[in-house]
Amino acid sequence: MIKSRQKIISVIVVLIFGFVLLYAGTDEFTAFTSETARVNGLIENKPEFPAVTLEDSEIRTYTFSEFKDKYVFITFMYTYCSTVCPKLEMNMSHVYSQIPQKYLGDDIVFLSISFDPARDTSAALDKYKGYFNSDGETWRMARIPDKKDLEMLLKEFGVIVIPDGFGNFTHNSAFYLVNKKGKLIDVMDYKKVDEAAQKVLTILKETGE
Amino acid sequence: MKQSVFGLILFFFLMLPPVADLLESIMIFHMHMQMPLLIVAGFLMGKFFLLRFPAFLEKWNEDGIAGILLFVVINLYWMLPRTMDEALSVQMIEIFKFVSLPFLAGVPLRDSWMKLTTAVKNAVIILFSFLFVGLGLVYTLSPVELCNNYLLKEQVTLGWGFLTMAACFIVYLIYTLVVDPSKYE
Repeated sequence: MIKSRQKIISVIVVLIFGFVLLYAGTDEFTAFTSETARVNGLIENKPEFPAVTLEDSEIRTYTFSEFKDKYVFITFMYTYCSTVCPKLEMNMSHVYSQIPQKYLGDDIVFLSISFDPARDTSAALDKYKGYFNSDGETWRMARIPDKKDLEMLLKEFGVIVIPDGFGNFTHNSAFYLVNKKGKLIDVMDYKKVDEAAQKVLTILKETGE
Repeated sequence: MKQSVFGLILFFFLMLPPVADLLESIMIFHMHMQMPLLIVAGFLMGKFFLLRFPAFLEKWNEDGIAGILLFVVINLYWMLPRTMDEALSVQMIEIFKFVSLPFLAGVPLRDSWMKLTTAVKNAVIILFSFLFVGLGLVYTLSPVELCNNYLLKEQVTLGWGFLTMAACFIVYLIYTLVVDPSKYE
């Protein structure tokens, strides 16, 4: 009798341990991949866009304060990318086209940031922006020439970029929304275009009133 | 005792930084070689614990159920795409991997497996068949990267690895169902 009680106790202990382990390991069963965990963490922590220098397709250089008092809709990409980035930028252009003209430039700016500054020169970005009807003004494409700056930004925004040794990169993709104070407020699924556009529009309408 | 020594040598060998780095650099090696080998190392070292603490194990793991549950829980945890990523980016998780797989999965498996009835053994294999088919489908069909540290292509390879393992389990289960070994003795 005593033996079987111990048997039951040990089973219960193991089950409790297992539950706690899986519960803690998945942030209360909300994040089964580290990508979800990363996005949840970003939205919670709202990191600030660091003071890095950008150089855009029009060869203008500025820091993020250029976009003071504007929302900034950001993606991270590189122009040599043949897999995810064209899709990412295409989806970004669909979001862009859903934003009424009156907001563009004044209340919100779209910004594609390249993490391959060696190859993505202003000329390359200028050519690339043509494929997506980016005007270079309300939707800018820029690189971060300084390596340390770039690394800092990628780290702050949790963008993981792994070179594969053949000139390509493995990287995670998402839409990033930064508020008027330069703080990251949302990371959205880049495959859900309408959902992202709706979210941005709601925010713009709220602040417009 | 010899087995325990081999287990210990294997354990330390897997911990060598170049060996760990190599196995972790390829997704399927990470999940289907390093992790099982750590369990094997624990399984071999288990002999030591069996000889050293027979009374404790007899008392608390009398019929092997608690031990096999612990084994299943640890395996479940390491099958999450997230833990595989975090093992590479968070040092504490990496340490936990090297402790939990041998000592919380390998050792209990050693102690429990012989104590289990055939029905429970088969139930465990059926459970893992389902899990591996499920995970195999998730990894082969997922259009997005589930692990930030690995390429999509590697993920598909890992998925096929899971499906292959599941196929082996299922073949074994069918074999035990239809073949009566006593007829051939």
